[in-house]
Amino acid sequence: MTWTLLELTFRVAIVATLINIPLALGVSWLLVKTRVPGRIVIDALVSLPLAVPPIAIGFFLLLLLGREGPIGGLTKALLGADIVFTWIAAVAASAVVSFPLMARATMVAMAGVDQRLEMSARSLGAGPWRVFFTITVPLAMKGIFAGVLLGFVRAISEFGATITVAGNIAGKTQTLPLALYSAVILRDDSTALLLTAVAITIAVATLLVHNWLLARTPRPEVS
Amino acid sequence: MTVMNPQVAHIAVTKRFPEFTLDCDVTFEAGATAVFGPSGSGKTTLLNCVAGLTRPDSGRITVMGTTIFSASERRAVPPEKRRFGYVFQSSALFPNMNVRKNVLYGYALTPVEQRNTDPEHLFELFDLTPLLDRSVDTLSGGERQRVALARALATSPRLLLLDEPLASLDVSFKGAIIRYLKRVRQELGTPMIYVSHSVSEVVALAEEMLVLSDGKPVAQGPPSEVLVRPDVGTMADYGALENLLDATVVERRSEQGLSVIDVGGVELSAPEIDAGPGDLLTVSVRAGDIILTLDVPTRISAQNILPGRIEAIHSQGPRVIAHVDVGVVLVVELTPRAVADLGLRVGAQVYLIVKSNSVLALDAIDSE
Repeated sequence: MTWTLLELTFRVAIVATLINIPLALGVSWLLVKTRVPGRIVIDALVSLPLAVPPIAIGFFLLLLLGREGPIGGLTKALLGADIVFTWIAAVAASAVVSFPLMARATMVAMAGVDQRLEMSARSLGAGPWRVFFTITVPLAMKGIFAGVLLGFVRAISEFGATITVAGNIAGKTQTLPLALYSAVILRDDSTALLLTAVAITIAVATLLVHNWLLARTPRPEVS
Repeated sequence: MTVMNPQVAHIAVTKRFPEFTLDCDVTFEAGATAVFGPSGSGKTTLLNCVAGLTRPDSGRITVMGTTIFSASERRAVPPEKRRFGYVFQSSALFPNMNVRKNVLYGYALTPVEQRNTDPEHLFELFDLTPLLDRSVDTLSGGERQRVALARALATSPRLLLLDEPLASLDVSFKGAIIRYLKRVRQELGTPMIYVSHSVSEVVALAEEMLVLSDGKPVAQGPPSEVLVRPDVGTMADYGALENLLDATVVERRSEQGLSVIDVGGVELSAPEIDAGPGDLLTVSVRAGDIILTLDVPTRISAQNILPGRIEAIHSQGPRVIAHVDVGVVLVVELTPRAVADLGLRVGAQVYLIVKSNSVLALDAIDSE
């Protein structure tokens, strides 16, 4: 195992998580705090990546990001660069697969914010954006952060979609789960054991923080 | 849009819910209007329509000459642009901010040219100065409502909307909040619409009342006229009908274990109150604790004998409620038999007997 492997693994997971945060906040706000039409459909779409095989997500991303696809074609034409089989593609795969976990947790956290507090803020002169950033998000912060960690551990473990759209190129797109897969295939048991231990360590540490945060969620306002 | 309209509000709206429909067309003209009715009658929905927190299905709402909602013009001013203060039963203080930041939240958002009060004045008015750096989680129910009132008033609202602000409070805090609300009217002149299902609160605070039943207005007018209507009476909770009165301490007689207080020019003796001459407080006298006689009582243990005149009299199921003017109007609870035996009618000269021990001081806070 090299530092490149760890650096790449964390880089992919962190970038994917950072991309997902604003999206999860936006979708949660839409679904929890507004009466947007078609909520049932949006709600189902949010959970979809949890329900389909990761390989299918990888394949879908391949179609989207490939040279013939709408996004891949555009970047090729504008920047002369391919996305598929680069670390950017690994980020896309991790982001899509981990999004439902983060969004679900964020929705639960936001639903826990007493609507009367938000209505109070509106009556005090705050527009919807200000209410969101000064009341909703601060009061849901612990739950949101727990969701971010959950998304992060899922992103760091991502395998199926990643190998489909980013390949398994050592030093370029090979993240920890992909290196583990190679080690298992090559019957390199000592490397496989070491990588498994590292993966478990990262997961346990993150989940401990996650659970600690949720246990310390402030009690609801007594009315 | 009609400008220069003297009325406070004209509300003509419908709002359909699965369980009931709010359908009313009412005009409020008084400085303090109570919206009264049993739970589920649509009081809070009406208030939320005015605040912009609930969107009516149809109709029009005009407040002080400005149309804030019109279904036909597809116009709805968002709540943050209406400049109405809203106080919830639950206070709805922001738990992520201390007392000072709660009060300043809306103040900071109010354009300078619209401000007609400053936070320091409000801190003083609601006696919040010692609480400013406290977390709102550590406040008592009465303190929370004072912060909520100050926070709403800090935005210099054109109208104050109150949704049962006393309902979740201990009896000992109610008097103080009622006095604060009266102070708001005297010092800031902010008109208010006040949702309540307590007759005592309505009598103490409102100049005018609207009665809603099952989403529809059934009566409107001064409380002394509306409350005597038999159809309104059946909805009202007279279970604990009490007189809530502003009082000034005249004298404290510790050796006799009592205090003398002045209520609208009438002196009453009360159990000793921990307050000095000139201090303001609110007292409660239960309507059932007042005895009514036709003759001047002599050789009687009660300290307070007040001559007065019956202003109104109405039946309330097995009881009769009389409004007696003794300088202030007191509501007195009687039995139908007593009314028949004494031949009581409007205009009769009577005496009210109030035992000192039935005069209850409601203020739990000190007056500085």
